[in-house]
Amino acid sequence: MQMNNWQRFWQALKDNLLQEMKIGDIGEEIRHAIIPQTVATVQIGDFELVLTNAVTMSWIGMAVMFLIGWWLGHRPRLIPATIRQQLAETLMDLLIRLCRSSHMNEEQTEQVVPFIGTVGLFIMLTNLLSLFKIPPPAKNPAFPIAMALLTIVYIIVQSIRFVGLRGFFASLVYPKAMLLPFKLLDYVIKPLSLSLRLFGNVFGAFILMEFVYLILPVFLPGIVGIWFDLADGILQAVIFTYLTATYIGEVLESAEMSKQARQQKKSMQAASV
Amino acid sequence: MERGLIALGAALAIAVAAGAAAIGIGIASGKAFEASARQPEISGKIQATLLTAIVFIEATAIYALVVSLLLVFAF
Repeated sequence: MQMNNWQRFWQALKDNLLQEMKIGDIGEEIRHAIIPQTVATVQIGDFELVLTNAVTMSWIGMAVMFLIGWWLGHRPRLIPATIRQQLAETLMDLLIRLCRSSHMNEEQTEQVVPFIGTVGLFIMLTNLLSLFKIPPPAKNPAFPIAMALLTIVYIIVQSIRFVGLRGFFASLVYPKAMLLPFKLLDYVIKPLSLSLRLFGNVFGAFILMEFVYLILPVFLPGIVGIWFDLADGILQAVIFTYLTATYIGEVLESAEMSKQARQQKKSMQAASV
Repeated sequence: MERGLIALGAALAIAVAAGAAAIGIGIASGKAFEASARQPEISGKIQATLLTAIVFIEATAIYALVVSLLLVFAF
């Protein structure tokens, strides 16, 4: 039977998901867990696009996020009458309080909250997939690196939009100009630490849960999985969100202190003349 | 000989990092207990701060885990 591309992809996805449920020999299991599994390969002209586990599971996470987002946000009323709207408002309130405590005023908060909410919720949902013995996308090193690069570019661009290019450079030299190389190195270290934290935690937890499934598949995964799958996944997403807001707040804070120091110096010069 | 040295390096990396992380978390938890005993009414905030600190200390140990895995599987 001649299968077209769509049917071949669907077959490969089903085979992949079925293969995850089987338990085989220990070395092979661990190797299977560590190496990113390719689901399908798509030829676009000269370029070969490799779709791995991480990509397809991210699609599942995206679909779930669309549904949850629509469910939480459709038809809001001015006075909340349903638990659904109260839940949505609680989540928004948490994010807004996080941004406010990172030295952002009202309109800046309004711009930042959608991004960090989306990224945080996406990472949390895809981490929680490991509860169903589906390998989470963050176990593939490409996914956390992509998220961290996206976040650091967003941090730099948004902070430049908030305080201007001059304020950004002022924040780089704020207390002493000698700190400039360290602050520049900081902008290299921040994406590394964001990505390695997320990758290391999720990858380590996944390998450990594989071992637990091999030892005793009946009760032990449920007990151990409460920390490693559930709590670790949620915690890493929350920490990612919190750190993004904090990094934006750092630049805003330094720019503000630098502007105040400059104004004080100007007023002292004007007073002494 | 080379595989043996690689394995030794990987084991040493994660052993030292795990020990150092455990000591750091122990010190942080001890200080949190003391602070909580001095002022029980802000115990909630102290717990939240302690959890955040534990995540950061743990992340450092996990950088060493990533290096260790890189040694074993890519060399």
